[in-house]
Amino acid sequence: MKKTIINIILIIIVLIIYLLQSNFFSWFTIADIMPNLFVILVLFIGLFSNRTMGTIYGLVIGLILDLVIGTKIGINSIGLGLIGFLAAVFDKNFSKDSRITIMVMAVVATAIFEILSYILNYIFISIQLEVINFVRILAIELIYNLILTIILYPLMQKFGYYMENEYKGNKILTRYF
Amino acid sequence: MYRSKKAGMIGIIITIIILIAIVIFSNGDSENSFFENAASNLVMPIQNGLTYLKNKISGNNTFFTDINNLKEENKQLKQKNSELEQSLRELENIKTQNETLKEYLDLTEKYGEYKTIPGYVINKDISNYSKTIVINLGKKDGVEENMTVIGDQGLVGHITSVTDKTAKVQTIIDTASSVSCSMSTTKDSIVCKGTLDDKSSLKAMYIPIDANIIQGDSIETSGLGGIYPKGIHIGTVKKVTNTQNMTDRYAIVETAVNFEKLDTVLVITNQ
Repeated sequence: MKKTIINIILIIIVLIIYLLQSNFFSWFTIADIMPNLFVILVLFIGLFSNRTMGTIYGLVIGLILDLVIGTKIGINSIGLGLIGFLAAVFDKNFSKDSRITIMVMAVVATAIFEILSYILNYIFISIQLEVINFVRILAIELIYNLILTIILYPLMQKFGYYMENEYKGNKILTRYF
Repeated sequence: MYRSKKAGMIGIIITIIILIAIVIFSNGDSENSFFENAASNLVMPIQNGLTYLKNKISGNNTFFTDINNLKEENKQLKQKNSELEQSLRELENIKTQNETLKEYLDLTEKYGEYKTIPGYVINKDISNYSKTIVINLGKKDGVEENMTVIGDQGLVGHITSVTDKTAKVQTIIDTASSVSCSMSTTKDSIVCKGTLDDKSSLKAMYIPIDANIIQGDSIETSGLGGIYPKGIHIGTVKKVTNTQNMTDRYAIVETAVNFEKLDTVLVITNQ
């Protein structure tokens, strides 16, 4: 029952992020660069639930994005699926209680996602390779995502531990001993 | 975890303020004006008062009334002069506007031979690296893949995929797009590609070695390549960059269409 509620909330969050991303962040930009909240969301789902759920959510959100706005089906899907999988790996190796680790994870995940999707785009739809411009946009986007992670961190933690208790059982204490 | 809840909240509020400040300052004057207005409204009364006081003190001397009168007259004449200059400039503006409007008239006549369907932009890309748009026309309106999409000023792009009621348009500023064009005066053919750099400019490449490329020259589609019909306006040459080799010099073309504010488009259905 609780799992259903959590899933419904996550779907609503996906819709909200989509609306934000296509309306609000199209003008609320840093030097014309928007952030990527989907990466943060998938990272968050992967961190606080299990590996299967992170990967499935990543693949499904990516697929929806590909169908709605993307040029080739699969590019966002593969990227976000990988982020969901990676988040579970992060979860095993790092602590989620520190704000710094979450920030570093968000930056690393965003960088991996954008670089991977840029390379896939380069291979499949033969875009023109512009390394310097890409690095500039990526750097600004990473900073933006970092700032958003700092702002959203308490919210993520509150909802995250609620979700973790449901999916993994109450393991918060046993992990450190 | 936060050491104390209060410190955490303060940290978040400071971060939000910093974010808003970065967004405002990184986006140029358009968003700035509100804050500028607010600031000047705060300072203006004080400044006005000070100026009034200063004028009162310096102008109170009856000995220099003549000079003051002359100054006044001089000021009025100067103002009149500037007004006249202003109107002259306006006239010149109207003259050039008239010419461009005549050009537009030609343009619409040129487009008149194509059958077009009007549509709206209903979605824009959420990624920083591609610039696809979605329009509200689909198979039911007779739109098919590879049809050309134009705006009121020039070329927008072509359709990459269609559903029943929507269609995805790959704009010419997308990095995956390249358009074969020609310069309107010299008829040299070049290729315009989208860049990540800017949302309103294209990179014109493969310029022939003997071609003479002029700043401000208008660029049109050449009709080669099979997707875009001939003679659709794209934009004007903004800058020519010469490199050591003549073969890889390039030019920056400013698009006629403003992609940030694009909302209505036309799809050409017969080519």
